[in-house]
Amino acid sequence: MKRTKDILLGLIIPVLIVILWWYVTNFTDTPSTILPEISAVGERFRLMIESGQLQSDLKVSLIRVLEGYAVSAVLGVLLGTLIGMSETAKRILQPTLTTTRQIPIMAWIPLLILWCGIGEGSKIVVIVIASFFPIMVNTQAGISGTPLEYVEVARLYKLNRFKTFFRVYLPHALPHIQTGLKLGLGVSWMAVVAAELIASTSGIGYSMSYARTLMQSDVVIICMLVIGIIGILMDKIVSVIFSALTPWEKKRRERG
Amino acid sequence: MAENKELSLEIKQLNKRFNVDGKDVEILKDINLEIKKGEFITIVGHSGCGKSTLLKIIAGLVGYNDGEVIRNGRPVKGPDTDCGMVFQEHRLLPWLKIKDNIGFGLKKSDKQKWNESVQKQIELVKLNGFENAYPSQLSGGMSQRAAIARGLVSNPDILLLDEPLGALDALTRVQMQKEILRIWKEEGTTMIMVTHDIDEAIYLANRVIVMSARPGEIKEIIKIDSTNAKVRGSSEFTYYKNKVYKHFFEDERTEVEYNI
Repeated sequence: MKRTKDILLGLIIPVLIVILWWYVTNFTDTPSTILPEISAVGERFRLMIESGQLQSDLKVSLIRVLEGYAVSAVLGVLLGTLIGMSETAKRILQPTLTTTRQIPIMAWIPLLILWCGIGEGSKIVVIVIASFFPIMVNTQAGISGTPLEYVEVARLYKLNRFKTFFRVYLPHALPHIQTGLKLGLGVSWMAVVAAELIASTSGIGYSMSYARTLMQSDVVIICMLVIGIIGILMDKIVSVIFSALTPWEKKRRERG
Repeated sequence: MAENKELSLEIKQLNKRFNVDGKDVEILKDINLEIKKGEFITIVGHSGCGKSTLLKIIAGLVGYNDGEVIRNGRPVKGPDTDCGMVFQEHRLLPWLKIKDNIGFGLKKSDKQKWNESVQKQIELVKLNGFENAYPSQLSGGMSQRAAIARGLVSNPDILLLDEPLGALDALTRVQMQKEILRIWKEEGTTMIMVTHDIDEAIYLANRVIVMSARPGEIKEIIKIDSTNAKVRGSSEFTYYKNKVYKHFFEDERTEVEYNI
């Protein structure tokens, strides 16, 4: 019951937007190149699916995201763990990483185009740079935030460093790593679209940019909606994986 | 030497200082203590008198400056399986099921032995049915039981209890005191418990150690040798209670006299 209610509450704003959309296209003289009718967008969506254009665009973009994200997930969790566990590693890496993090992802693109061209390489590097930091920072916070009381318990029972890491630090950090991986995934999805908008010859971002030059606002809107929905789905996948990895968190929440 | 074998713990001339802002602060001064195997010792004192530090030194979690600490005939060099510890906060790891928390200190190489040891502790602290629960699903009293079970799982000779009942409500507290006494009688483990509850100290102990604060020194060791003293409200109980009280509130009494 509560779930149905939650879904209904969540639908209030989308429904209002659709009503507003319908009102604007039917009762004002907004040109269809600015805001097409809902039915026209639906029809275009059907055409894009039938021609297979949408699927192939998505495939190109998703593969880029998965490649880049896989690299930054591994790098981010490893470096975050290293910095969280070792004070020396922190002193060596933290200043450089914190400075690098301040550079907006868009500011990397010109240099990456010069170095890697506009092929697959530059897009994947953009994704790696964009999603690495949220993953690393959150992993580090989870590791170094492990209460010393728990570490003391591990000492009392003479666990070695290796076991202490896997039985105390890592489980404590898992929910934080989850947050980092979710943020990182969202960011890599945004980064790929941004990179494709600027410099690309394929992918969903490229299609959007191309459609804009043809004044096809319906295609632009469809791409935006699809990007949003794919983003939500990927977020849910990470949630499902982590709720299986951290069953104690669910019990804790159930208790409230 | 034969007599020494009967001792669980021997502390000689122990001194402990902490370095705070470049200055040495004396935490424990001139502690001398002999505890026989199977004794129940309670330590009472103001907060900050170093009683928790003393327990951590015995456990091997904290080092010391001078003196000797001998546990089961061997100088303490670090934590070991012959000495368990229960903290004020239960410190159960939230990500481990109760059985895994209890078996935390046991090597899992022999799975069957591990299961048997853990099961024995679960029965001892009466947590049957909660083996697969997570700590967040347990009440405060149950969590402390699980923490006691974790402390006992490796069959230590000494169990150190650092105000383990401090966070519990009054009713659960009295019940847990009875449980601890029962476990002590069943297991015969030497127990050293820090508390700030004088009633609790007298109810549980063979000997009550009264400590003064800054630096922590042993003021008096009170032997509770009457069985009647275990009955709350008996005249013996009150007698011991006054004896302990005297140490903490002598200053106040003089103040009252001034006021009159």
